[in-house]
Amino acid sequence: MLGNLEFFMVEAFRSFRRSALLTTVAVGTITVTLVVFGMFLLIILNLGNIVGTVSSMMDISVYVEKDLSLEEAGALQVELTKIPGVEKVEFVSRTEAWKKFKEDYGTQLDLDALINENPLPHTFAVKVHSPELLPEVAKRISQIQTIAEVRYSGTLVNQIKTLMDAVRIGGASLVVLIALATLFIVVNTIRLTVLARETDIYIMKLVGATNTFVKWPFIIEGIMIGVLGGVFSFLVLKFSYDAVISRVSTAMPFLPVVTDVRLLSVIYSATLLGGTALGMLGAYISVSKVLKAEI
Amino acid sequence: MIELVNVSKSYAGGVDVLVNITLNIGKEEFVFIVGPSGAGKTTLMRLLYREELPTSGKVVVDRVNVVELDSNQVPYLRRNIGVVFQDYKLLPKRTIFENVAFALRVTGAPRSAIRRKVMQALELVGMLRKANSFPDELSGGEKQRACIARAIVNNPPILLADEPTGNLDPATSWDIIQLLEKINKRNTTVVVATHNKEIVDALKKRVVVLENGRMVRDQQLGTYGV
Repeated sequence: MLGNLEFFMVEAFRSFRRSALLTTVAVGTITVTLVVFGMFLLIILNLGNIVGTVSSMMDISVYVEKDLSLEEAGALQVELTKIPGVEKVEFVSRTEAWKKFKEDYGTQLDLDALINENPLPHTFAVKVHSPELLPEVAKRISQIQTIAEVRYSGTLVNQIKTLMDAVRIGGASLVVLIALATLFIVVNTIRLTVLARETDIYIMKLVGATNTFVKWPFIIEGIMIGVLGGVFSFLVLKFSYDAVISRVSTAMPFLPVVTDVRLLSVIYSATLLGGTALGMLGAYISVSKVLKAEI
Repeated sequence: MIELVNVSKSYAGGVDVLVNITLNIGKEEFVFIVGPSGAGKTTLMRLLYREELPTSGKVVVDRVNVVELDSNQVPYLRRNIGVVFQDYKLLPKRTIFENVAFALRVTGAPRSAIRRKVMQALELVGMLRKANSFPDELSGGEKQRACIARAIVNNPPILLADEPTGNLDPATSWDIIQLLEKINKRNTTVVVATHNKEIVDALKKRVVVLENGRMVRDQQLGTYGV
């Protein structure tokens, strides 16, 4: 078996070198399709990240009765924290709120001249674990007696929810489609390298080679083509993504881009493994087809 | 060694290539299959190593029922049959040594045995000094010798040659036929399909004549014409 393995490797390398043009075309095709695939994954990932960040910034503004004391407000804060789905409750005292309001608008109006008493109530900013929980939590809060008003951006929540669903479902189906298209292209490209060696296959079968024996050199060649395509697409993706990210974070620092190395390396290894698998599968499918047509 | 019983082969569209052929070829025989182009000689050969299956009838080669043979057993049948072609079918990007060794490699033979057997086969066909040449560098006769070396390197009990002299001049043809006779004397059954009248008449071997897919004559010590 070791002798056979050597034969398979030698045959694979020989074909790889001797059909240099076809090999280059096959590697190039795999590279391009994997880069498209990888870019798509990166876009989906970033889109999801942006949506996630935006929705995590959303909170419920809770206004209490104006005559509520600080102690009572403190007790209320504990009560709010206990509501299921609540992540964090921030307290803003009416003094602080008034000060902030005056800072924001005081230059345009002489507020103290117009109003001689702080008109604002104590407020809470309630953050929830995920934006879907906003309506439910808001409803529960509004049932508390000492709460005057509860506000959150309902339409925005719904829009974000729709957007996230669209990104998830649309993204998943597009990933499947692009993966299939990639496989199709790779199979057909590798098929060319197999067809270029149809005489070899005929002779091999004629002198009594088993189908498995005929297949192995092609599969190894397919793996080599796939690995090369995977490595090239990884390099292209990594360098272009890094370049784009450094520009985006300079120009639009508020945009939450994905820079998590672990998350990115998942995508990069997916292109590497994907290339290898595609090359192997492509070679297997095409050589099996030729073998079926042969004697 | 080779047995055909009521073998017929027809293609879609009703073309009958072989009609009701019954033929027995014994161990170590030398048989010419003769007839004009399109008589069915090549198809008959192809049935023997199962490149094609008959429409009806029985084909037995080396005690193996070829028609009923499981397709994953076909490689093992072919290792017992050497095949020589009119157009040699050598792989152009490999040396003569590699071309001949290829037939042993695919059977998973160990490297040391391959080298010894290839050298023996090349010596038998007189091609030892061309071992490192590529097919393009050889004459027609030399290519045919290489093709024969590849066919016999595995020591098969049966050698089939389909128009082995079709592309060669008379003198070279004669060399090739003598080589096939030599291989026959080394206990190999040899079947040669040809329409080379001079050679058939000179050798006085068993002659099977095909015409329009029918066997019209089977004659010991035969000649091409009646």
